Amino acid sequence: MSNNESLLATVSLSRYFTRGSHTIKAVDRIDLTISAGEFLGIVGSSGSGKSTLLNLLAGLDSPTEGQILFESGSMNSWDRSRLARYRAESVGMVFQSFNLLSYKTAVENVAMALYFSDLPRSLRTAKATAMLERLGLADRLDHRPSDLSGGEQQRVAIARALVKSPKMLFADEPTGNLDQENSTQISELLTELNEEGLTVIMVTHDIELARKSTHRIIRMHYGSIVESHSGETE
Amino acid sequence: MKFRDLVEISGGNLRRMKLRAFLTISGVVIAIAAFVAMLSFGAGMKKNVTEQFDELGLFSTMQVYPERENEANDTLVNPVLNDSIVVLLSQIDGVRLAYPYDDFPVKVQFADTTLSCDAQALPLAAASTRMFSRIETGRSFESDSAFEVIVTSGFLRDAEIEAADSLIGKPLVLSVEVSSVDSALMYVVRESGKETFERIGNLNFDSLKQENFLQRLVSQEATRAMGNFVEGYMNARETIADTLTIVGVLDAARGRSRTEPLLVPVATARKFTSSGFTGDPTKMFSALTSGTLFADSESGNIRDYSRVTLDLDPAAAYQPIKDSVTALGFRSFSYAEEFDEILKAFRHFNMALSAIGLIALLTAALGIVNTMVMSIIERRREIGILKSLGADEREIKLLFLVESGVIGSIGAIVGIIFGWLITRIASLIAQSIMANEGVDAMELFDLPIWLIVTAYLFGLIVSLVAGYYPARRAARVDPVEALRTD
Ligand SMILES: Nc1ncnc2c1ncn2[C@@H]1O[C@H](COP(=O)(O)OP(=O)(O)OP(=O)(O)O)[C@@H](O)[C@H]1O
Ligand SMILES: [Mg+2]
Repeated sequence: MSNNESLLATVSLSRYFTRGSHTIKAVDRIDLTISAGEFLGIVGSSGSGKSTLLNLLAGLDSPTEGQILFESGSMNSWDRSRLARYRAESVGMVFQSFNLLSYKTAVENVAMALYFSDLPRSLRTAKATAMLERLGLADRLDHRPSDLSGGEQQRVAIARALVKSPKMLFADEPTGNLDQENSTQISELLTELNEEGLTVIMVTHDIELARKSTHRIIRMHYGSIVESHSGETE
Repeated sequence: MKFRDLVEISGGNLRRMKLRAFLTISGVVIAIAAFVAMLSFGAGMKKNVTEQFDELGLFSTMQVYPERENEANDTLVNPVLNDSIVVLLSQIDGVRLAYPYDDFPVKVQFADTTLSCDAQALPLAAASTRMFSRIETGRSFESDSAFEVIVTSGFLRDAEIEAADSLIGKPLVLSVEVSSVDSALMYVVRESGKETFERIGNLNFDSLKQENFLQRLVSQEATRAMGNFVEGYMNARETIADTLTIVGVLDAARGRSRTEPLLVPVATARKFTSSGFTGDPTKMFSALTSGTLFADSESGNIRDYSRVTLDLDPAAAYQPIKDSVTALGFRSFSYAEEFDEILKAFRHFNMALSAIGLIALLTAALGIVNTMVMSIIERRREIGILKSLGADEREIKLLFLVESGVIGSIGAIVGIIFGWLITRIASLIAQSIMANEGVDAMELFDLPIWLIVTAYLFGLIVSLVAGYYPARRAARVDPVEALRTD
């Protein structure tokens, strides 16, 4: 269920890339409001600017123009370290290619997310273990990514995103590299997490999946939102 | 991010890249080892010189010499170093003791051997200065007039004696052949007496009333007597001998100042020296002309010395003392002054050695830069992940700086150990060479704490400087690009 409290909002948000003589408007004057507890789906063709928008919202990229308001405060005035703290405390990210470190075990990969908290090492490991157990990976704790299936790897990545208890989860095509069965499992997991109060913003190519799990879907085209409608799950 | 986490991450990375880490660290190890070994040699040499100087009390010693003959101005007679000057020198502020270098040739009879060598008269106070403090066995003199003798390693060598301990308490007969005033007069009387009386008997006594005749006669006779006296002096030699007990053996082998084979208490020595002239005719003639021949020979005032040693108060500055000596008309030489020059030379020597070590370290630094840059290229994704998880640029920079710092630290520590091992091996080789050459063994290397700390800091700082550019590059990695699915 979405409520009306605005957690994240953009005002004429733009991100341009200059390639030689011409400018690519990857994100072009987008106005968007995301409520706390919402599950937002972003769809659109390849190159329409979905990932760019997500990276801007996650504080990983900086806008060329426009603003992002987090809890009504403008992020434009933030310096690098405040932005880093935003990523450390408020944002969890999940990628299509998992982005796990191959030389670290599942627990170590998850515990990495707590480097930037003040927790002692033992507590970090305990929290990581608990999160992995919650996501059904209790018997995979000391496995390296190469010993895990794609679905398991993505669940480790989700555990890493969630272990620091962020307000929002940004998922960029989290099921893109997974088969049907695993995709369903992951999307059900995200729905479950959203129902527990987590705000989820998910980019996907799979319109059916988006329809099933999200509250609202926006469609992007050449950097702009061309369509927005509420999901049919309600 | 906690510093411990940073070190742990770096350690983990180095462990993962074993071969590369090993090669990079090896570069640092070689450089630091070379640096340590070379500076250790420099420090060892300096320590040896300093210790020797200090042990011999050279820092608190000043040598006084007569001024060199001045060719341009030979009408000016340079003052000579004699006993009254020694007294004056000893009264200079900061001078604890002044004693002359007073040597004389002697014949030594010890056990079955008889040999000729030089002995040196030494006041009791001088014997207790550092310069003579390295008594191997036994002790110093009991008093200035004790019938005792200290033998030095020069004597052991001349007499071919191996065991120094066995000498203590043994008697040693010292003899001097002198021509004394007494023996010369004896000669004059004995040899020319009859002849003179004969001539007196043949004299025409009337002619004595003539004054100039008398004068001529007296002068004639006086000259003849003088001639006889001198002749007697040279021929009628008397042997003075005494038995002294060996009380100590002094190690003078490493000494910087010359020490004669035998050291004799000053009052005892006077028995041998003041009874006459020990075969040096020039000294005698100068004594004849200056009228000191018949002066109180007990005071020994007729002797002049080639050198007077001043034992200084270590706290006293040597410049005012030097000025006082110059004012008296003498030349001085101080090792403290000399040592400043030696230290300057060592500084240059060390600088040259450091330069070689620095070049090696520079090469190692390039290795670190290379390794770190490669590491960044390989770990772009990791940097992206860390940034997405909340790392800021400063933390990424720190992570890579710590990594190169760990390389530098390990390299420096292992390098110091290796450098030390090198000096140990080199020292063993050097010792065996020295033993073969019959040179006194001495430690060529020294590894003081400051050198260890400097080497470590050097390794660390150089690695941090080398890691700075790669770390900055790492911090600037664009996370969006690094995390993009390609
Ligand atoms: N760093 C960059 N430099 C130049 N152009 C870029 C850069 N990043 C993205 N773009 C361009 O911006 C546009 C949007 O890219 P973006 O990755 O956001 O698309 P997307 O919707 O995520 O596509 P996909 O579905 O293929 O992931 C594209 O045309 C892309 O080429
Ligand atoms: Mg994309």
